[in-house]
Amino acid sequence: MSWPIIRALVAKDLTLFFRNRFFAFISVLGIVFYIGIYFFMPSSVDEALDIGLYAPVLPPIFEQVQGEGLSIELVDSVETLEEGVTEGCYLAGIALPPDIMEKLATGSKVTVDVYFAADTPQELKDAVTSLIEELAYMQSGQMLAVDISEEIIGPDMLGRQIPPRDRILPFFAIFIILTETLGLSSLISEEIESRTAQALLITPMTIKGLFLAKGITGVSLAFGQALLFMLATGGLNQQPLIILLTLLLASLLVTGIGFLLGSAGKDLMSVMAWGLPAMIILAVPAFGVMFPGTVSDWVKVIPSYYLVDTVHLSANFGLGWGDVWQNLLILLGFDIAFFGLGIIALRRKLT
Amino acid sequence: MSLRRVGILLGKEFRYGSKSFIFIIAIIMPLVLSLVLTLVFGNLFSEKPRLGVSDEGDSRITNLITESDSMVGREYDSPEKLRKAVEDGALDMGIVLPSDFDSLLEQGQIPEITAYVWGESLAKQRIVLRATIDNMIRDVAGQEVPVEIVTTTLGDDESIPWDDRILPIIVLMAIVFGGIMVPATSLVDEKQKRTLSALAITPASLAEIFLSKGLVGVVISTFMGVLILVLNQAFGAQPLLLVGMLALGAVMASAFGIMLGAFIKDITSLFAINKAIGILYYAPAFVYLFPDIPQWVGRIFPTYYIVQPVVEISQQGGTWSDVAPEAFILIGLILVVIGIIGALARRTAQREALA
Repeated sequence: MSWPIIRALVAKDLTLFFRNRFFAFISVLGIVFYIGIYFFMPSSVDEALDIGLYAPVLPPIFEQVQGEGLSIELVDSVETLEEGVTEGCYLAGIALPPDIMEKLATGSKVTVDVYFAADTPQELKDAVTSLIEELAYMQSGQMLAVDISEEIIGPDMLGRQIPPRDRILPFFAIFIILTETLGLSSLISEEIESRTAQALLITPMTIKGLFLAKGITGVSLAFGQALLFMLATGGLNQQPLIILLTLLLASLLVTGIGFLLGSAGKDLMSVMAWGLPAMIILAVPAFGVMFPGTVSDWVKVIPSYYLVDTVHLSANFGLGWGDVWQNLLILLGFDIAFFGLGIIALRRKLT
Repeated sequence: MSLRRVGILLGKEFRYGSKSFIFIIAIIMPLVLSLVLTLVFGNLFSEKPRLGVSDEGDSRITNLITESDSMVGREYDSPEKLRKAVEDGALDMGIVLPSDFDSLLEQGQIPEITAYVWGESLAKQRIVLRATIDNMIRDVAGQEVPVEIVTTTLGDDESIPWDDRILPIIVLMAIVFGGIMVPATSLVDEKQKRTLSALAITPASLAEIFLSKGLVGVVISTFMGVLILVLNQAFGAQPLLLVGMLALGAVMASAFGIMLGAFIKDITSLFAINKAIGILYYAPAFVYLFPDIPQWVGRIFPTYYIVQPVVEISQQGGTWSDVAPEAFILIGLILVVIGIIGALARRTAQREALA
């Protein structure tokens, strides 16, 4: 195995990639788009129900529940309340009668006016109605005859919820890396199709050297783009070493898969035909992060699960080596398996 | 231009092109995406809180939870399964009801409930669910509600359900992917294999070749658009007008596909450009998806004029007079693209003749 030859082959592949200014420009543009979408998405989570309240006499219960998922703003007239609801400042506007406390104390029924915008979904109207009823029960001293013991499952994220754009971060990272699977496999299939791979093998270049060169090219392209994206979006702010290692292992994984696809396809189109379903399957675990509870435990058989889970846990929860070492080990195992399989498949194709 | 030659070329496109990867993907992908997006956005983006219950007896609360329209209620066989669902984030909250819950309530005793709360559940979901559970318990216990709530609805804007919001993106994917990629890949493939040069020396003109490839895109695109609308039960009251507008959209997509095919030299570049600008095709659909984005933003993108008439007719009962302005703009855009294709065709013809 000759390092100068490997270096020359890697330099040739990378030069070809970047010499095609159009292709290079488009690749950069793709990352810029992903970064743009990231910054376009909401950077915070609104956890509270914004309620406008007109209350000539303010029942103490409204002060007590303020902040526990409710953001109550007092207004000085029903007109202001209606205006706030119409303009979307409040999800609902509640107008309490002046004699509410007397009526509740005497056990008489109180009439409460509630204003909603026409586009408020029915479930939110029902939610506000339930809330008002519950507050009225509490204010009238009718205690709930049930003892509810609450247990928080998982880290309690109250007040520090993960914004949608950070939840989608692992998906973007994995998508950028996965796209390079197609890039690398097309690079290999092109070499096989135009028989330049076979031509290379009659030079001092060995099969091992060829794999290594293509592997370095694939890993550099995938890792480089994902790294650029994570740097630009602040994805390396927490546990950067873990995330860097995860991206590197992921790049190795897609390079192995790229070898497999490159050897399975006859030409670029058939590489695409095999590559797209592979990409979709590998992207599935990211949906579990974006939409928790949508995928069941079987998703753990997909290698990319360990990439997505590690990036999510490290970038969004700040978990360290002690929490993610198993993921990294499994990912390394998949890397070795796919890289080995890819090399065997490609060797059979070339010899 | 010879219609007979166009027909022969069209037959060849359908005979050989239908075996290609892109042709198959153009049919399968919109169907899969339609299913996935309906699941993802239809259920998952709903703001309804999710409550699970594991009932060790036969409480009325369980029925109230599973039959509620204001939240997503699910029943679980065991407290362990309920806890796991909460841990996975499938539920915001899960409650375990003891076997004698209702009878204890009726006897005036204080039963115990275990509530599992997902750590990532939003504060507003937690408070809403707590209030809802409390209300249900009070209902079963026979407590009288101390308030009468009178609701007033302000303004004219109606809540747009997620099913309606996702339709534009599904329709756009059906029309745009097949319409653009099938003719574009076919043309680029012919260039790469140099069969376009071979065709150029036959009596078939470049315009006839482009037209036959474009027609394949139009047929697939229109067919998929109709299929997706039928599957989503969104065909509306004006089927002929709707098919007409779908066909017009398909012509626009195919013309753009031919333009890309004429401009781009190889498949890699074609996929690269689609990877980069693909999101622009679907940009108007994102405006429908999130009504908070000013609706005028959608008008900037040419594909708006494909999807808006379809949405207008299928969801809002629009007629020709409602969609005519968009239709004329779309026709104008098609003419512009055809003009560009004409210029590119002359350049391609010269190059193929030299080759």
